[in-house]
Amino acid sequence: MGIRLRSCGLAATLAVLTAASPAAAQNPPEHLRLVAPAAPGGGWDQTARVMQHALQQAGIARTVSVENIPGAAGLIGLARFVGSEQGSGDTLMVSGLIMLGAIVTQRSPITLREVTSIARLTGEYEVLAVPAASPIRSLDDLIRAFTQRPEAISWGGGSAGGSDQILAGLIADAVGVAPRRVNYIAFSGGGESLSAILGGQVSVGINGLAEFAPQIDAGTIRPLAISSAERLPGLDVPTLREQGIDLEFENWRSVVAPPGIDAAERRYLEGVVEAMVRSEAWRDALTRYRWLDRYLAGAEFERFADTEHARVQRILQQLGTTAKESSAAPGLYPLFVLGGLVLLGLAAVVPAIRRRPVIPSQTAVRGWRSVGLIAAGGFLDVLFAERLGFIIASAVLFWLVARAFDERRPVRDALFAVAVSVAAYLLFGRVLDLPLPAGVLAF
Amino acid sequence: MGLFDILSALGGGFASAITPAHLAWALAGVTLGTAVGVLPGIGPALTIAVLLPVTFSLDPLSAFIAFGGIYYGAMYGGSTTSILLNTPGETGSIATAIDGYMMARQGRGAAALTTAAVGSFVAGTLATTALAFFAPMLASVALRFGSAEYFALTIVAFTTVSALLGDSLARGLFSLFLGLALGLIGIDPLTGVARFSFGIPQLLDGIDVVILVIGLFAVGETIYQAWRYGREPLEAIMLHDFTGMSREEWRRSWKPWLRGTAIGFPLGVLPCGGTVIPTFLSYLTEKRLSDTPERFGRGAIEGVAGPEAANNAAAAGVLVPLLTLGLPSSATAAIMLAAFQQYGLQPGPLLFTSQPDLVWTLIASLFIGNVMLLVLNLPLAGVWARVMLVPRPLLFGGVLVLASLGAYTLNRSLLDLGLLYGVGAIGCLMRVHDFPLVPAVLGLILGPLSEQHFRRAMAISEGDVSIFVTRPLTASLLLAAAAVLVLPSLWKRKG
Repeated sequence: MGIRLRSCGLAATLAVLTAASPAAAQNPPEHLRLVAPAAPGGGWDQTARVMQHALQQAGIARTVSVENIPGAAGLIGLARFVGSEQGSGDTLMVSGLIMLGAIVTQRSPITLREVTSIARLTGEYEVLAVPAASPIRSLDDLIRAFTQRPEAISWGGGSAGGSDQILAGLIADAVGVAPRRVNYIAFSGGGESLSAILGGQVSVGINGLAEFAPQIDAGTIRPLAISSAERLPGLDVPTLREQGIDLEFENWRSVVAPPGIDAAERRYLEGVVEAMVRSEAWRDALTRYRWLDRYLAGAEFERFADTEHARVQRILQQLGTTAKESSAAPGLYPLFVLGGLVLLGLAAVVPAIRRRPVIPSQTAVRGWRSVGLIAAGGFLDVLFAERLGFIIASAVLFWLVARAFDERRPVRDALFAVAVSVAAYLLFGRVLDLPLPAGVLAF
Repeated sequence: MGLFDILSALGGGFASAITPAHLAWALAGVTLGTAVGVLPGIGPALTIAVLLPVTFSLDPLSAFIAFGGIYYGAMYGGSTTSILLNTPGETGSIATAIDGYMMARQGRGAAALTTAAVGSFVAGTLATTALAFFAPMLASVALRFGSAEYFALTIVAFTTVSALLGDSLARGLFSLFLGLALGLIGIDPLTGVARFSFGIPQLLDGIDVVILVIGLFAVGETIYQAWRYGREPLEAIMLHDFTGMSREEWRRSWKPWLRGTAIGFPLGVLPCGGTVIPTFLSYLTEKRLSDTPERFGRGAIEGVAGPEAANNAAAAGVLVPLLTLGLPSSATAAIMLAAFQQYGLQPGPLLFTSQPDLVWTLIASLFIGNVMLLVLNLPLAGVWARVMLVPRPLLFGGVLVLASLGAYTLNRSLLDLGLLYGVGAIGCLMRVHDFPLVPAVLGLILGPLSEQHFRRAMAISEGDVSIFVTRPLTASLLLAAAAVLVLPSLWKRKG
């Protein structure tokens, strides 16, 4: 495996420049890696970066790096985490309810049972809201219209199978409408769904409290209900429960460790997380982001995760995430595209290949030799990139490509290959702190 | 807010931005931004995310000045590799590569880089002015765009393919459908069901546009050049001059800059607008308005000036919903929103009134950053243009190393790296047999968008197709798309 000790490059340099040296701590353990299975900017990424800050500030770990592995509501990160971090005792990944939803919807072979549970960290309440100008004045109005003709109410929220859709399904279930009939409109990303709600494109919107709060304060949307058990101080929004819907709901986030770590490593990581949630930087972040402290560790957390898995599975099955098909069936468009591709292929590709340009045989051989060299370079790059590291893979690639153009100066090309690869690694891997595999040349 | 209030607020912003410390942060931001914009796959979003924990100890003002600089700088940097290496650093500079790279091949790289830099400056300055004076008004208009309107907008964007088809309708459309088919791969965002992903987890999120773009353009070009090398003697590249643009080129550029700004800014304001659609619409506009459309695709400077201006204007437009509504409409905007929260600031509709100093200093520093970028980039244009003089073996070796670096860091996935070379092979074959490459890229970007917005609109209207004709905005956009396709041929018949 690659090296574990990665400097924080630019980050560290700037920290020194701006005199942001973390609170001095006695012999903090070396390095910790955090995986955020999402792109920068979302809830999981924020959680990971707040953890990074808190861990360094409190001196619990000397350096902490965050790696983003985005995709498929966390499933790509999860698959990678289980596959390549097996037994890494210094790595944590952020996960949560939305990942459970994705596991169920995608029937993922890898679930949260495959990883080592560490702790639940935070929870976030969800809010139902309508645009300020909406004719719907209250939750009663909404439910009345919804029970009369469910499909007429469009519910806007985040990705399909995520926390927002789960809550819509739970509400439908609670008021006696088949969850299958919820006309849920999935948007990708908080910005997209928020603009649809603000613009009145959907009847009602569901979103996390933190994302809605500024709009509630500004009066641009009217909150109908919050999914907490009791009213929150300083926020004049009635709960679902006090309005007759017996439901409580939170979008929780947690951290997990890779599979195959031993008991001592597990205890160490649990200790790190416990110390972090007690730190001042973490408590500050909770208020700033309006996160609830939902720290729960050990066997209790495992039991909680199992119960949640069952609940999510039940509601998503009832929702039938594949069921909502309007007149434009999802199958029609792929058929059009693939049909068009085949027809145009017959019309364009066949004649193009027939009138193959005539090439003198001697030069053609040289041309194909060049292509062969580049193909070898690409193949070896894929083969070596993670096994031997970025520098070696890139140097080999550079050298082969250069020789594809001109084979008279192998030594000059080799020198440039090494120089360019090392420079690229230092600039992007160290200074910009991008995750480039160091491989066997660990330094 | 009256005109005078805005001017005095902006004046206050400038007073606070022109302090040595703030100027230094702006300079650091634009320099770093230019550097990351150059590399495919690494954009301002990732850079700001990496810097967030570091800037925690700074005062928010300095941090946001640096972030603004990174954002604008990345827009400038993206065009450099597009023009010189046929490797767009981000999706907004794909259109630039079409004619920019041809100009560089003809030894006119310095002129292409200059028109890109000046165009970016003009667009950035005009768009930032519009941001300062009309932001709240524009934002409320933008909210009237729903899924039906966005669908119509993608149809308008599809018409730009007509300007990119090349010699054969069948080959051009095949390229488009290839892109559309690749766009089918991955989770359908409306239902959460995976399509054509063949059980491979890395394919669940589809094929990244960056992979397709640098595969087709950079890797495909490298293989093609190597393959041809054995057959023909190399045409030596003669650099025309290092001074930038000729009088003729200035005359050809200034109108595309203004038109690009006019197209880019309003589309950037739309919460789902992005930078791809405006850049291609600008390219189409310039080709349609040109007296000599046949020069496009062979090194027309208007094809660089327009899209570059549109790209920067759209990037400034993205800040409108962010600052006035608290709506993040791009990855970078989402990070900036998170940064506001980190400082305990309330991003949202009240930001302008609750944090006027911060907002106006940020806007003022965007103006300053734009000037800095122009001053940095103009002299560099001549220096960068010399890249074309690097011996080919070394130049293309370096291009492939950069391409593989960008592809791998995107998702840290070897599958992406393999895909990059596979797509490169396809790109080379397409070049050999004279298939245009850009329609495939447009297909991959617009296909999924178009499908999603169509189905979302249908779900909201409960399956009633009339939603596309009864909403005035939608109907007029669809009419415009039809006009773009039909009018030119009618025109020709008449003339």
